[in-house]
Amino acid sequence: MKFVILIHSNPQPWGHPTGDFNAELQAQSPEVRAQMNAEFEALLSELSERGELVTAEALGDPATSTIYRWDGGPITSDGPYAESKEHFAGYFLIDVADRSRAEEIARQFASPGDTVELRPVMWPGGEDV
Amino acid sequence: MRLSGLEDVWREEAPRVLAALLRRSGDLGACEDAVQEALLAAAEQWPRDGVPDNPRGWLVRVASRRMIDRLRSENARVERELRDHSLTPGAAVAPGADEAAGNGRDDTLHLLLLCCHPALTPPSQVALTLRAVAGLSTAQVAAGFLVPETTMAQRISRAKATLERAGARFDAVPARELPARLHAVRHALYLMFNEGHYGGTDLGDTDLTREAVRLTERLHRALPDDDETTGLLALVLLTRARAAARLSPTGDLVPLAEQDRARWDRLAIRRGTTLVERVLPRGPVGPFQLQAAIAAVHAGAATWEETDWLQICALYRMLERQAPSPTVTLNLAIASGMAHGPRAGLQRLQPLLDDPAQRRNHRVLAAAAHLRELAGDVSGAVEAYRAAASLTQSLPEQRYLNTRLARLT
Repeated sequence: MKFVILIHSNPQPWGHPTGDFNAELQAQSPEVRAQMNAEFEALLSELSERGELVTAEALGDPATSTIYRWDGGPITSDGPYAESKEHFAGYFLIDVADRSRAEEIARQFASPGDTVELRPVMWPGGEDV
Repeated sequence: MRLSGLEDVWREEAPRVLAALLRRSGDLGACEDAVQEALLAAAEQWPRDGVPDNPRGWLVRVASRRMIDRLRSENARVERELRDHSLTPGAAVAPGADEAAGNGRDDTLHLLLLCCHPALTPPSQVALTLRAVAGLSTAQVAAGFLVPETTMAQRISRAKATLERAGARFDAVPARELPARLHAVRHALYLMFNEGHYGGTDLGDTDLTREAVRLTERLHRALPDDDETTGLLALVLLTRARAAARLSPTGDLVPLAEQDRARWDRLAIRRGTTLVERVLPRGPVGPFQLQAAIAAVHAGAATWEETDWLQICALYRMLERQAPSPTVTLNLAIASGMAHGPRAGLQRLQPLLDDPAQRRNHRVLAAAAHLRELAGDVSGAVEAYRAAASLTQSLPEQRYLNTRLARLT
């Protein structure tokens, strides 16, 4: 089953990994930060080794985005899309045995200053009964 | 020679060549790599020089040589392992052409038992079986699951490493373990079939249902008297017989009740039904035989309404006793609704609706919606259709449920 793990964050300045640039994580002690980094690296290797990681992308600064809206025709403006505190910063697409495994993985993406969202991916098949 | 012809020979011979190597060395990873290298050599030489008279003997010889080369070049750790496994490079030399691959029947069975080893998760069993027994390339297996080749390659190599750690060997399974091990094989084949049949067939390049049917046929040939295997074969044949009718020209899902039954594959239905009828009277009747019997009753009905719902209810009740699950209860509720009216169906469904673990199960909600609609409870149906549509992750199911919802609102 495929799931996407969406990272919402507000690094200042914008950068990846987002934790290196957001105040909440930087407020932690160097030991805690080092441990969190090591744990995250281990998680990524584990996903890759188990054949669960499908793809991942880090997104550019929301200020570099272009917004298209419809008002009788396409209206173009510069980003960011929303004035919210957090922005969509990147995503990981995983393919796992079941939802509980996806939840176990997503929980480990939680990090001070980030909001992590787990969403199932729709699939093209279905049952005819 | 055309490449497709080459592929046919390869697909037929690959598992036998692999089995011939495995009989001398238990190391699935090394044997599989050697077989792959032999295929590459064949892909280069056969179109140029023609297919050898004994393709299997040729492949075994080349694969064995590659394995010896590799063994010689590997380090002391491997040397030590070789001693432990009492395997010397000389022992891996190909047998004569007359004894090239031994008994094909045992090859398939033993390969399936190895690939569906209990140390592996079911998805890994399926991936490894497609690779090692069906002879698909990693790219083809990846296409079947719509994941990148690197992701699938990791999954397969991890599965091989897990087998090695578990000490899984290519040899006879002790008689007392065989029933459970065979159960795992059938389960993996069923999972493979479902992945292909329900997984959005027009997207992947690889037809997983075809592979699952082929492998189940081979398992059935190896074990003609194993009635659950016969039941599984009948079930996949009868289910696949409906494939052409289950999607509309626009790709929408057509429920069983509305399918054009003229498009069902009559030949497959006849074969599946004959198989079920042969094993049912013998007993004891296992879950795959019961599911096949249910599929056969559906296949034998001219229309949804004319289906023998009483018989389907009886079969689901037997299945509920043998292998109870929310899915079986759900299907029994739907069948009761058809046999005894929607209120009877809703009564059967109520325990699932009350179960917190099933509250987010879109299939339970979809069944509730349908039964409530039949019973004239429009607002209850609307509520359940809306919940079911929002919870499903299937695009065609969501489209179907939203259409039903729109009809009532």
